[in-house]
Amino acid sequence: MHNSAEPRFSANERKLSQQYLRELGSSIAIYLAILIPSLMYGPGMADGALKTAVLTAPVLGFFLMIWAIARQVQRMDEYQQRLTLESLSLSAAITAAITFTYGFLENAGYPRLSMFVVWGIMGSAWAITGLLRCWASKR
Amino acid sequence: MNNSIRELRAERGWSQAHLADQLAVSRQTVNAIETGRYDPSLPLAFAIARLFGLAIEDIFSI
Repeated sequence: MHNSAEPRFSANERKLSQQYLRELGSSIAIYLAILIPSLMYGPGMADGALKTAVLTAPVLGFFLMIWAIARQVQRMDEYQQRLTLESLSLSAAITAAITFTYGFLENAGYPRLSMFVVWGIMGSAWAITGLLRCWASKR
Repeated sequence: MNNSIRELRAERGWSQAHLADQLAVSRQTVNAIETGRYDPSLPLAFAIARLFGLAIEDIFSI
């Protein structure tokens, strides 16, 4: 059990967290800097390759986010990597179960949902998995 | 697997965070090992043994 008198994070952890926040924050800022003009000018453009390029340009910022996340996973220690793998596996399985089930419901006439919903479901499943793990480790 | 890391750490007056820094792992990892929720890999077990100046079998037992 964690002694409340002790610091919650080691100095090394704090340094790594700050590095991750810097890298992820910068990539999100770049993503937003590309996304805003893309949304402002993309929809009004004439159909064609240029419009597609403008509307999909924000994905460049997303690649930077993926790079920042990959670096953070590499920096994690073996226990943290295992926890992350377990949580992600469970949340991916939950997301697959929900999206497949809803896909069948769509065939039965339920309204079609945007693909944006998928990440919301996976993020929620990931958060719930993390909270359950936290609760179980304190029992 | 049982281990005596908590006792060894207490003898030296180290906090979990200090031990975590010495081993380049998170405090959460040290806590999980001490409470038996996680068995470290062989390289980490060697690092722990080296840090305390003991053999692995002096720290870990089944």
